Amino acid sequence: MRDEELDRILSDEPGVVPSSGFTVAVMEAVRREAATPPPIPFPWKRALPGLAAWLVVLVVAVFSSHSGAALETAGVPFWPRFLSAATAALATAGRFGVGWVALALLLSLVSVTLSMRLTGWRS
Amino acid sequence: MSASDDQADVERILAGDSAAFEGIVRRWQGPLVNLAYRFCRDRGRAEDMAQEAFLRAYRGLAGWRRDAAFSTWLFALAANLYRTEFHRVSARTLPLEEAAEPHGESGADETLAAEARDRAVRRAVLGLPAKYRDAVVLFYFHSMDVAAAAQSLGLSEGTVKARLHRGREILRRKLPRFAALRWKNAG
Repeated sequence: MRDEELDRILSDEPGVVPSSGFTVAVMEAVRREAATPPPIPFPWKRALPGLAAWLVVLVVAVFSSHSGAALETAGVPFWPRFLSAATAALATAGRFGVGWVALALLLSLVSVTLSMRLTGWRS
Repeated sequence: MSASDDQADVERILAGDSAAFEGIVRRWQGPLVNLAYRFCRDRGRAEDMAQEAFLRAYRGLAGWRRDAAFSTWLFALAANLYRTEFHRVSARTLPLEEAAEPHGESGADETLAAEARDRAVRRAVLGLPAKYRDAVVLFYFHSMDVAAAAQSLGLSEGTVKARLHRGREILRRKLPRFAALRWKNAG
């Protein structure tokens, strides 16, 4: 099949005419859209202090664990000291339930992203 | 279709007059439904997809930058939606290997056979890999204008040309029996 033949077949395609009620249907949908109040934006301004406080608590917890472990293991080589500090930090984080919080946040993020993709919010 | 009409309607809509969108729908419903039809080969679904494209255009009107024609923006938005829809909902398409091919060329049936062949070739386009299919569909929708197809796809003209070339190559390879038919209407 030559290019000219493909060109002829694909460019001479008879068009479809929209049905008579198409404009009405679209305008009804537009009117519904116009009547719907805009979605409430996420309250970042209110949430930011809470998120910042949560971050500070996390950093303080990690830092205090690390400094405590550092005092106990003075003179020990870097990697064992680092592993020990990391283990202590994780244990502290575990006491605060940070793992569950992180898991909940991750699940929330995944479900929100998925639902937004399914509803086609990215035009 | 006047660009100034589009611009005036958009200004009215952005000022709060949603009824002005009807002018845009009336001017562009034909092209948008036809473009959707080329992606799904189903009239009812094409109208649903075009309606969704109009709704998204309505929601995103404020995002139309006046440096491009309204039609360019609208086609790019619609093409993007149709491509996503094509992936999301399994289209009623045939793999290239299963595309119906006309049976021979028996005298009086020659015209019918040619029509069947044309339909099969058009449907076969939908069986192409997505990137070639999109380039082929948009190129022919825009009356073989590479620049317009490239704008609708958000690609460079060179990329569109390369994809067109490859898409045609695949079609030719996958539809060898069509080459054996007489091309009654080819002239």
